[in-house]
Amino acid sequence: MTSVAPARRRFYFSQRAVHLLFLVLPVLLFVTFFIYPIISTFYLSLQDWDGISKSMKFIGMANYVELLHEPRFFHAVLNNVTWLIFLLLGPTGLGLLLAAILDRGLRGERVFRIVYFLPFTIPAVAVAAIWRWVYEPTSGLLTTVLNVVGLGSLAQNWLGDPHVVNFALMGAVMWWMTGFSFLVFFAGLRNIPVECIEAARIEGATPWQIFWKVSFPLLWPSTIVVLGISAVDAMRLFDVVWATTNGGPAYASEVLATQMYDVAFGRFDMGRASAISVYLLILAGAVIMPYLYYMSLRVQASEAE
Amino acid sequence: MATRVSAGRVSAYFIAIVVAVIFLAPLVVATLTAFKSPREITQVLSFPTQLYLDNFVVAANQMGRSFLNSLAITIPAVIFSVVLGAIGGYPLAYMRGGSSRWIYFFLLTGMLVPFQIVQIPLFIFIRTIGLYDTIPGMWLTHTAYSVPFCTFFMRNFFASVPRSMYEAALIEGCGPFGYFWRLLLPASTSGLSALAIIQSRYIWNDLLFGITLTNGDEAQPATVAIAGFVSGVQVQYGPLMAATLVSVVPVMAAYLIFQKSFVRGLLGGAGK
Repeated sequence: MTSVAPARRRFYFSQRAVHLLFLVLPVLLFVTFFIYPIISTFYLSLQDWDGISKSMKFIGMANYVELLHEPRFFHAVLNNVTWLIFLLLGPTGLGLLLAAILDRGLRGERVFRIVYFLPFTIPAVAVAAIWRWVYEPTSGLLTTVLNVVGLGSLAQNWLGDPHVVNFALMGAVMWWMTGFSFLVFFAGLRNIPVECIEAARIEGATPWQIFWKVSFPLLWPSTIVVLGISAVDAMRLFDVVWATTNGGPAYASEVLATQMYDVAFGRFDMGRASAISVYLLILAGAVIMPYLYYMSLRVQASEAE
Repeated sequence: MATRVSAGRVSAYFIAIVVAVIFLAPLVVATLTAFKSPREITQVLSFPTQLYLDNFVVAANQMGRSFLNSLAITIPAVIFSVVLGAIGGYPLAYMRGGSSRWIYFFLLTGMLVPFQIVQIPLFIFIRTIGLYDTIPGMWLTHTAYSVPFCTFFMRNFFASVPRSMYEAALIEGCGPFGYFWRLLLPASTSGLSALAIIQSRYIWNDLLFGITLTNGDEAQPATVAIAGFVSGVQVQYGPLMAATLVSVVPVMAAYLIFQKSFVRGLLGGAGK
């Protein structure tokens, strides 16, 4: 025994050294591309800088204060919050409904599954291109269909009307994102042991009761994954909005990410844009921190078992 | 009882079919539009009377280069990011003690950060090191921002490989590096390929980094070219739909072919 111990220790030491060596590159990239830029953004947000000239002017918290007086900024914050609520409820709810329906064992299940999932695979700019065509006010798909069924009076200037544009975008995103939550829920439902469902059925539960009392609670791990990803997506939301409307008309569909891009690369006000992104980070933190806290409690609970 | 059950089934079919039609309609219309001549294009619900391929010619002339760029960006960036995910995930799955847990959570926070917080310094940094508007610049950027997710994904995958295999290999005299290279990676092809599919969607579909870090024919990916086309004053929907169709096909095909392993990998990575 005694002769083995030092060899073992050396063995474990070299093992640890190799492991640490493996971590060098990922950690280095993380520090260069996450930590350093985040600190740098905080620094830039205190400056007045056009992104080109050599000198910056330190202006303290002025960027933050001025943003608080801008209706345009508040409108974007409000839009982000609306998107958050929508993404948590809309695609998640529809995805759950579709998964629950398909889980009953419909004929042609494979085809339905592919159809529901297809839009999720396409790029945001393709979503934008396709839905701009759907929403084209005179000869687009939506207006044409409404005319054919005699509801032509409901037709709108879908993307041109400030009061309609956000709902129009949400429709497109619903189409785009539902496939993801559908797939996660569907796989989750398939993982539920048949005995649980069978037992409830023998007890005389209706399909509706089985779903809400048995399946849905067992589906909770899938649900929190979907909700977490939706929340992060709502904070990051940029590409669909930018490619479909550029934030317009008249900033009506703007979210913080598109506003920040416009201020930085359209108006070359890097300090102000940095302040917007710091506000966005704070908003994202406020949304995601409770989620992380909840997740860590779950991890602790599962480790304790 | 029997009638109630069948009523439930009928409404299930009804909802499933209605949603399927709504989901397919925009794709079908976009496909038809890509094959229509300008004269027919306003008749949204009609079929094209002839196969009009000029839209694809126009799209190829205006955006052909950007599609090649997208390929040149996506393929290496997917390989780099998956390899790096495996490299980072391995020690985090096998190291014992608090330090690996800290590094893990530290990397995880990167998955939750809105990229806007790094956008401007990234732009300045990439410009300073001379990689602005270059394809290697896009490789570097995509690889770096994939580190948190890829590491997370591969760590969870490796954690599901029985630890006894690792200990047996070490007793047999296989070093920790040899185990990674000769045993763990070959045993993880399903996880690696699932991650590769997720990453190809993510990188091929990216707009934010492309629009921030490229500025012209040299490196502009297809998504940026299409976005420029969409927001033009007079949108030519025929060529636009042709380009859109081409941009949709690669990732869609990959998902359809590898659907099973994607679902398995996703649940292994996120379901636990």
